[in-house]
Amino acid sequence: MGPPSRETWAQRLGAFRASPSAFMAGPEGEDLGRDLLIELRSEKLSEQTKVSLLALSLEYPAQLWPDAAAAEAAATSLLDTLVLLPPRPSALRRPLLLAATTVLAAGDALGPTSGASRRLLPLLLGLASGRDLGRGFGPASEQRPLQATACECLRELESCKPGLLGDCLGLLRRLLGQEGPVQPLSLLLALALRNALVIRAKAKAGLQGLLVAGDAPTPGGPWNWALAEEGGAHPQPQAPSWPAAEDEECGLAVLEPSPEEARELRAAVAQLLDSSYLLTPVAQAQLLWLLGWALRGLRGQPPVLFKPQLVRLLGTAQLALLHAVLALKAAFGEALFTAQDEALLLRRLTLAAQHPALPLPAHLFYLHCLLSFPENCPLGPAGEEAAPLLLGPRLGRSLLPSLLHDPMALLARLHLLCLLCAEDEEEEKGQGWSPQRYLGELLAGLRQRADLDGGPRALAALCFQASYLVVRCLATQPLVLTPLTHGLAELYRARPALAPHFVDLLDRVGPELGEPLRAVLRQEVVSRAGRDEALRWHLKILAKVADGNAPSATLGFLRAAAAHCTDWGLQQALLRVCRTLMRAGVREGLADLLQALARQLDDPDGRDHARLYYILLAHLAGPKLGVALGPSLAAPALTSSLVAENQGFAAVLMVQEAPAPIRLSVGPRRAAGPGPVLQLQVEVLEPVFSLELRFRVQGQLYAPLDAVHVPCLRPGRPCSPLLLPLQPRLPAPTQLSVRALYATPAGLTCHAHLPPVPVNFEDLFLPFPQAPDDGDKQGFFEELWDSCLPKGAESRLWCPLGPQGLEALVSRHLEPFVVVAQPPTSYHVAIRLPPDSRLLLRLEAAQAGGVPVALRTDHWAVLPLAGDYLRGLSATG
Amino acid sequence: MAQRAVWLISHEPGTPLCGTVRFSRRYPTVEKRARVFNGTSYVPIPEDGPFLKALLFELRLLDDNKDFVESRDSCSHINKTSVYGLVIGGGELWPVVAFLKNNMIYACVPLVEQTLSPHPPLISISGISQSFELLFGIQDFLFLGQKNDTELNTKLNQLPDLFLQACPFGTLLDANLQNSLDSINFASVPHPQKQPAWRVGTYKGKPQVSISITEKVKSMQYDKQDIADTWQVVGAVTCKCDLEGNMPNVTISLSLPTNGSPLQDILVHPCVTSLDSAILTSSSIDTMDDSAFSGPYKFPFTPPLESFNLCYYTSQVPVPPILGFYQMKEEEIQVKITVNLKLHESVKNNFEFCEAHIPFYNRGPITHVECKVSFGQLEVFREKSLLVWIIGQKFPKSMEISLSGTVTFGAKSQEKQPFDEICIGGTAYLKTGN
Repeated sequence: MGPPSRETWAQRLGAFRASPSAFMAGPEGEDLGRDLLIELRSEKLSEQTKVSLLALSLEYPAQLWPDAAAAEAAATSLLDTLVLLPPRPSALRRPLLLAATTVLAAGDALGPTSGASRRLLPLLLGLASGRDLGRGFGPASEQRPLQATACECLRELESCKPGLLGDCLGLLRRLLGQEGPVQPLSLLLALALRNALVIRAKAKAGLQGLLVAGDAPTPGGPWNWALAEEGGAHPQPQAPSWPAAEDEECGLAVLEPSPEEARELRAAVAQLLDSSYLLTPVAQAQLLWLLGWALRGLRGQPPVLFKPQLVRLLGTAQLALLHAVLALKAAFGEALFTAQDEALLLRRLTLAAQHPALPLPAHLFYLHCLLSFPENCPLGPAGEEAAPLLLGPRLGRSLLPSLLHDPMALLARLHLLCLLCAEDEEEEKGQGWSPQRYLGELLAGLRQRADLDGGPRALAALCFQASYLVVRCLATQPLVLTPLTHGLAELYRARPALAPHFVDLLDRVGPELGEPLRAVLRQEVVSRAGRDEALRWHLKILAKVADGNAPSATLGFLRAAAAHCTDWGLQQALLRVCRTLMRAGVREGLADLLQALARQLDDPDGRDHARLYYILLAHLAGPKLGVALGPSLAAPALTSSLVAENQGFAAVLMVQEAPAPIRLSVGPRRAAGPGPVLQLQVEVLEPVFSLELRFRVQGQLYAPLDAVHVPCLRPGRPCSPLLLPLQPRLPAPTQLSVRALYATPAGLTCHAHLPPVPVNFEDLFLPFPQAPDDGDKQGFFEELWDSCLPKGAESRLWCPLGPQGLEALVSRHLEPFVVVAQPPTSYHVAIRLPPDSRLLLRLEAAQAGGVPVALRTDHWAVLPLAGDYLRGLSATG
Repeated sequence: MAQRAVWLISHEPGTPLCGTVRFSRRYPTVEKRARVFNGTSYVPIPEDGPFLKALLFELRLLDDNKDFVESRDSCSHINKTSVYGLVIGGGELWPVVAFLKNNMIYACVPLVEQTLSPHPPLISISGISQSFELLFGIQDFLFLGQKNDTELNTKLNQLPDLFLQACPFGTLLDANLQNSLDSINFASVPHPQKQPAWRVGTYKGKPQVSISITEKVKSMQYDKQDIADTWQVVGAVTCKCDLEGNMPNVTISLSLPTNGSPLQDILVHPCVTSLDSAILTSSSIDTMDDSAFSGPYKFPFTPPLESFNLCYYTSQVPVPPILGFYQMKEEEIQVKITVNLKLHESVKNNFEFCEAHIPFYNRGPITHVECKVSFGQLEVFREKSLLVWIIGQKFPKSMEISLSGTVTFGAKSQEKQPFDEICIGGTAYLKTGN
């Protein structure tokens, strides 16, 4: 494949521009950057095509050479191409300089270690200072434009790496004083000066003769990166936004220039300002922003230096210049603008904000400047839009909104009018013209236009935006709000199709307008017959405004409307209103309506929903119903209301699996009563309502257990122990698996598995009730002892004793079951084991390490359990 | 102060995308700074396609803006300036300075040298006014003196080269793009020291200064006792100074004719070097006292080479130059109209041309016109629902002319007919131009 021709390049560039990311991801993407650099040296392509290739590298270096190494290589190649150009006039020198600068700066390659930077910077500085670069670097005729371009390149590099030109301030000042091109040098010097000041201030260092340092880097000599490194890698704001600049002010005060340095600095600034008239208006504005913020807070630099420029600037129609004056105003305040000056500036702004010779975007910007005017003595909170004090009602009145204005101008002027109304309220009610009345008429006009059948959506939006703005500014003025409320109700009457706007407005305004507007809209809707074309809009509104007030009228409307809700959408809208009523706590009459709907609606989905709502209404208590119908927790972002609704129900009505906030433990044993009873202690980590604990015995050892109910549990408040009667079918220990079902404070029903509760062998022990109180206990025991055999089993075992001895062991573990006791050596113990077994123990002749135990039972299976139990006694203490 | 990107988009309603990007330019070095300054609130400049779509949506220029869309139509979505936030790829690209003029959308995104959330006030962002200047500059370059589409295309094709000149790194050097074009051509002329950057090249030849004054009258005439008619003159003084030398000094002094109303609301070209404070304060908003400044109005300046507007002003004239009477009676599908125009005797009865436009809004197309004019001829533009009464170069001797007749309209079809939110029913206007 031969080298791409002009046409193929045009196609390729076209495809790239259409979507750079898609092109770079495609097969040709990888080679584009390389091809481009090669083609720049091709002799077959015209200069025009090469310029278009360079234009691409000016705009998309990051795509073409994505990393620093590639950028460095590309910049080197561009510089090589530049050097290799024949010494005749060429249109490529300028764009090549621009491209090399862009690639280096955008590609993060600019720095002391970069070879391309080391080549480019002296080259640019040489060009900028008009030095003869020899080797036929372009013909003499091209030197002047190249000098300007080099200045621009240096300015861009200085912007990206502040402090880069810190060493060249003296040189730049000299050049500006001699024959150099005024604008590029002025801007470059101003920026370099500003950056040097900021960096030195941050380093808390003095100016150290920065301004007079005359020795620029010698050609071929090393570049001084010291100040740029001091400044860190980050660019400095050239014209910081006002609030952000506050901190910097203190920063600059650190610089304490010596009287000599202060004089030099003043001279440099004066030099720049004196020649500022020669700059284009936009460049003048840049210069003023740069210098204004450079000198702010700097000692010994009176802002008066700017004064001679101000009168000239105030007269112009140029947006950038007036804006720069405002920036100076913000930077210096009273030090530069007296109260009279401030008043004059406001007059000029007011004038410019409506001058018929200026375009609309300029008017709008000036209106914004008025509302955010940097006053000498601001009254209100910073950052909030306000009418400046000196604007006064007369000037303000010249900016009244009218229906003939463009929507944006109308809103801006309306805002101003609202602010004036707010002030007017505080003053005495004057006669004659009243801003409130004017405002009322304007809003009425806007509503009339919004009412236009077939009018664009923008007109309606404008009407509601204006209403919203008024409510936001004048929420406390019934004089304004009452007619607004009624006007809006009338608008709805005339054009119900605006319902979405009404709903949106109700969503956003506070109760001052929201509540009365809801009431009148509800009234408006329910007084209708409920069968006109606008039914869907009425239902939409009603779903928003229906509440517990006058439910019978609302229900009446819905009943009437139901007959006309023939399609699915209308039925859903109707049901949505029912839902709103349910949430509002309306019950009476609603249940009937829902039942009727469940029978009457055509659509099965509608019927199902009605039935569901009816069931919910009939079965759920108020709070729970509120949660069930509240905004879905599960899927707030879903677009379909139905899906969201169903998910909401699912979340609320279904039982949720949850980690249990409940801890269950077995309390002390209670050996009394007809059967064994487990004492359970419950603690909770969060409030739990309607707790139901369900137990299941593993295997068939016990009869099924009843659930235990607790109405309410709160953390930190212990409840009385829960008694769980056990009905063993065999005298054997087991484990109970436990599940908890409870409601959370949010109304959700949750289900949780708790750790199993063990039922130990000893938990089943019961005393013999029929043991005689005083009579022949020994005889009673012997009788029991004898009755065990021959059906049962007998055993002897050694029960180890701890240090505490037999007496303590018995009193701790077997006390309730002792029938005959001869402390401390002999005890006869009779234990009843439900359902109908017995365990008899003879503990006699205790020795130091243990006691021999004779035991008998009428159920052989008990023996090993009893053995384990006795052997474990000493271990449990 | 710098721009991150600039776009020119032609608005083409009815096409699938409703617009085409005719020109765009990005500034990667500025973008790099934006990423640092904006921090976490940084949103990169999108490609042309997504930008076009988002911008047209926000400006309500897509064809399907019938339904309520909360992100655009919500009452709290209040835009009071030509600066927008565009939702693109989950982030909000802000501030986008944009406006529509002559079916062309001008848009750019200035660099904000701080975090964007919360949005800093526009007034504190230096790049905003630079954006406006750039866009106004492009607009002037494309449309001043432009006659047809071919010429527009030629100028659009010149833009990339012009941007290399006028805005090589995103920081605007000169909003006057024509100047930049000239400076490309003048590149080889050696520049002397202390030449203004806005005066490219030098003039050689016979010195001459030409001045023209254009005045437009805006007037509202109510024909009612209790409402006073209003009128205002908006004037512009245009100069072309062909003078030798680097910085010739010129002073133009404007004097009022006898009994002339004072000039107010004066805005001057930036080349004016100084201004009398009386000129600065004379305004129509509140005449501070009755000693309105009545001139002479002196404007010392160094002229640029090209023709330029030295100043704009407004003024109150004692009577409107043409007194009009317009009556419209609606009768079902037709309207009866009567128009009387009377030229004031103080106005010179000699025009390049004089026409009266009678538009009809919010109605169907004109199907039938039956009108009599006492003077001149009437042209009917059925599709535009417009009558144009061509009066010619002068009024008759009586200075009074009249038109009367009926206009019949067909059935209204929403899309095609001119819509106006003010001219409803019997509300209508007539515009005279000369």
